[in-house]
Amino acid sequence: MEKIKNIALVKKIGFNKLVLVFVLILMYFVFALFSPTFISYDRILSALSYSYFLGFLALGVTFVIATGGIDFSIGPVMFASALISGYLLTRSGWPLVLCLVISVLVGLIFGAINGYLVAYWDVAPFITSMGLMQIAKGAGSVFTHTQSVSWPQSSEANGWYRNLVRYSNGSISIPVGLITLLVVAFICAIILNKTKIGRYILCLGSNKEAVRLSGVNVRKWQMLAYVISGTLVGIAAIFFVGAYTTVQPGLGDQYNNEAIAAVVMGGTSMSGGVASIGGTIIGVMIISLLQEGILALGFTKDFQLIITGLIVLTAVYLDVFSNQKKN
Amino acid sequence: MNDVILDMRQIDKSFPGVHALDHVDFNVRRGEVHALMGENGAGKSTLMKVLTGIYKKDSGTIIFEGKEREFTTPKEAQDAGVIIVHQELNMINHLTVAQNIFIGREPKKGLFIDDEKMNKEAAKLFERLNIDINPKERMMNLTVGKQQMCEIAKAVSHDAKVIVFDEPTAALTDGEIRELFAIIRDLRSKGMGIVYISHRMNEIEEISDRVTVMRDGAYVGTVNTVDTNKDEIIHMMVGRVIYEDPKAESNVPKDAPVVLKVENLNAGRMVKDVSFELRKGEILGFSGLMGAGRTETARAIFGADPKDSGYIYINGRKVDIKSPEDAVANGIGYLSEDRRRYGIVVDKTVAENVTMATLENFVSGSFIDEEAERKEAEKYIEQLDIRTPSPHQKVANLSGGNQQKVVIAKWLARNCEILIFDEPTRGIDVGAKNEIYQLMNELVAQGKSIIMISSEITEILRMSDRIMVMCEGSITGELDICEATQESIMHAATLRE
Repeated sequence: MEKIKNIALVKKIGFNKLVLVFVLILMYFVFALFSPTFISYDRILSALSYSYFLGFLALGVTFVIATGGIDFSIGPVMFASALISGYLLTRSGWPLVLCLVISVLVGLIFGAINGYLVAYWDVAPFITSMGLMQIAKGAGSVFTHTQSVSWPQSSEANGWYRNLVRYSNGSISIPVGLITLLVVAFICAIILNKTKIGRYILCLGSNKEAVRLSGVNVRKWQMLAYVISGTLVGIAAIFFVGAYTTVQPGLGDQYNNEAIAAVVMGGTSMSGGVASIGGTIIGVMIISLLQEGILALGFTKDFQLIITGLIVLTAVYLDVFSNQKKN
Repeated sequence: MNDVILDMRQIDKSFPGVHALDHVDFNVRRGEVHALMGENGAGKSTLMKVLTGIYKKDSGTIIFEGKEREFTTPKEAQDAGVIIVHQELNMINHLTVAQNIFIGREPKKGLFIDDEKMNKEAAKLFERLNIDINPKERMMNLTVGKQQMCEIAKAVSHDAKVIVFDEPTAALTDGEIRELFAIIRDLRSKGMGIVYISHRMNEIEEISDRVTVMRDGAYVGTVNTVDTNKDEIIHMMVGRVIYEDPKAESNVPKDAPVVLKVENLNAGRMVKDVSFELRKGEILGFSGLMGAGRTETARAIFGADPKDSGYIYINGRKVDIKSPEDAVANGIGYLSEDRRRYGIVVDKTVAENVTMATLENFVSGSFIDEEAERKEAEKYIEQLDIRTPSPHQKVANLSGGNQQKVVIAKWLARNCEILIFDEPTRGIDVGAKNEIYQLMNELVAQGKSIIMISSEITEILRMSDRIMVMCEGSITGELDICEATQESIMHAATLRE
């Protein structure tokens, strides 16, 4: 074991991440063994479709968790974004491009409010995001008069936005969403590791008071993490409807847990200061594969909830455990 | 008079690297107030913690009521009748006075707590002690003084035979101190043994019968209060051999320009009407006992805590400092007394910590120029002789002295003209200490100005050009280095207005 840990490549990527990749591959083979349809390209694309919106949510909340915060509003905010912009598109007849922009804006505004309350009013992120979760659910419902919203199908007018998720022209299917997700993840990794924004976010997650006493405006950078997160939640909304078209009011909570599970599994510390974008993406893939696989094996969705819950608890336990060992 | 209730003999206790108690003798008689005195770190609290079972002694004997005892927990000590009334009160704000006093041993009526009986018992207790408090009042509605009296009543209700008061008057008004003393005298007349820990010389003279002085973990002596005076006690407290020569005279010319002027600064409870000037190239020592308000003053100047009133001038120009950001922009750097909490980000690298206050200088376009950052870190690693294998080492892996140098490097990188060093050598070994001293001397020689807060009087005398002494939030003395002595500093530090 120690030998493997000391190989240069392993060190560079990180042993834990390699274990995760191994788990991902193993899971795929187990699912393929029990359900041969898993080997089909369509099934893989279907699992991937789930990973796009979840990926953007998880990327966003990685920034928040890196500051030592938490956000339980991302799922419902994503739904509010999709509901509000979808209503404007389908009922009010607003142009598609404008509606996509509005979707991102709704996420950004929720993120900004959340960040402002946490950074400038010193309210616990747990509390603010719980409040915003309720507001997002309510706002989505009120805006759509408690009706679900169905975005256009590919064949309908304005249906081209679905190409953002998967481009199909009869014979071939290209997972455009995967490319977008990886590009955005790459940008996120750059922001987190190579820019002043990321440096301050990670440092304040580690020791906010020491950073403040270095003369840094920590409130600004802390709020910015939530704004980045909110923006990515708005983008996630587009990829959600791109994959599934229909959104119902009053829902979205389950995606909080899945996104947070993916982030923590990927090695981002719940206590802040340490974050891994690559780990988050692998975590997202595992969760997405899991949800597809569980359905394929004939279990109900409830089992997926239980397993996601167990993953969160295990990952958090390992995080706490490794912190204790360090001290 | 020789009715000893508690006798601690040859108590010895070591922590890794520190001989905290060196064969200390201490006894308390029935019906006396015995003051325990000494500088910060002299070992008073450690001795009391050994007594009440918070620490386990290495050797020595404790004889309580004629029998050898060793309490292993504070609860056990409390049950035997040895109780500490702490400086920080252990009261639950939302409960009533009676509920607090009887917490953990509430009178029951069947399954329920018998509130009526509890209130009656509490009222009886207060009557006995001549305390005027309503048992049904919630704790949070009482003043600190009244809360403390509840704590005393609680101790008495535990059938206390020895009560230890740890700095009981720190937060009290004069009127409350009168009341407290009346109660203490009353307890004394009832035959209790009372240990009174305080820095306030005039209180000691007023309330105590005997005084025991400790210094550097060792027993110095015990005297009858009537046979002694303030000067003798101070001499006992500070009379250690000085290994380092104090500075003979100030290196700062009399007409050096004033770089920082603080005028009538007030902030919270701990900073009261503080005014002083700092000259260019000067090391201004801030001396005082624990809780004198020195760190609070520094934090208020630096904008880390809000100010209530007062003015700050830098190079004669009035500045409005509302946050550390403003302070840094005005060329002030602050090295906190608590390095790990406020100075460094331990799980980040040396380079990241060094550029923490100057990151904007290392950003080209949107990206951090890691090459320039590494060079900057290497510059200071060499200049300050920071012992680290590389600039990319986590600061957590460095020794205390080297961590302190990283914090200093952070402010040097920022080119701060005014540096506040709060306990710069705390937790640092002797060798690294001397390096820090040398570095401070080099900095002032370059024309920077330093405020040095230190609880070690020898350090103050060795480094300072001028000394401000604080006591309970106020400046109680300003001494030129050529006239300052350990005694004169301690005089000012124990002065209460």
